[in-house]
Amino acid sequence: MIELDVSTDPRGVGVIAPRGRLTMVSAKQLREAIDGLVTAGTARIVVDLAGTTFLDSSGLGALIAGVKTTRQAGGDLRIARPTEAVTTVLKLTNLDRVLRPRESVEDAFDV
Amino acid sequence: MSEGDAGGASGAIRLTIPAEPASLDVVQDALARLWEQQGVDPVLAMRFETGLVEITANVIEHSFDADQPGREFTLVVDVGADALRAELRDNGVPAAVDLSEVTLPGDDAESGRGLAMALATLDELTHEHREGLNVWRLACRRTDG
Repeated sequence: MIELDVSTDPRGVGVIAPRGRLTMVSAKQLREAIDGLVTAGTARIVVDLAGTTFLDSSGLGALIAGVKTTRQAGGDLRIARPTEAVTTVLKLTNLDRVLRPRESVEDAFDV
Repeated sequence: MSEGDAGGASGAIRLTIPAEPASLDVVQDALARLWEQQGVDPVLAMRFETGLVEITANVIEHSFDADQPGREFTLVVDVGADALRAELRDNGVPAAVDLSEVTLPGDDAESGRGLAMALATLDELTHEHREGLNVWRLACRRTDG
């Protein structure tokens, strides 16, 4: 199971924090949360992975879809604070180049 | 939701559960209990679980026609002295899988990474269709003593 905290910070950056396992079970929820923010005009999104304990290929697919959706809307999707488990999967799939982990949510769009 | 013994003192899991996405959580909850009970090294457990989750998701997603009633699969996981092992059996349509042809898709692909991830994390992975069943066998050798 997963809980998704969705908020928008004072700079207008959307922050989504999935807590739990990001898998086939919950990937659709993440896609919908990203689509919801973009539709509402928030095209810069940080996915805060500090509470994401497990990531599978469906979860990765949702993140890649989010990168596309946000870029098409003139923004971007960045990930921050991945757990060890998530970092391992990103490296395994060579997606740490596309989804370069950022050290903090606040600074994710600074560099 | 689950039937059978979802992990016990025996160092094993045996589950027969519906082939639907929610069952993946049942499997991972059972694995979490098993790793704790058996004191399996977390890095090894994560490697094995990553492969097992991808194969389980593949079974749930691809092995059955969407309208086939009573869709179930059976999972057995065993913590052995030399390896973590799992076997999945389903009576769905024969999976057309050639594991020797599996590669990672392009960076912008939204799907198609599952089997490549399983092959990368597991030391052994086989699939066969036998007597009307898809049979997947998975293993990670233990290096945690």
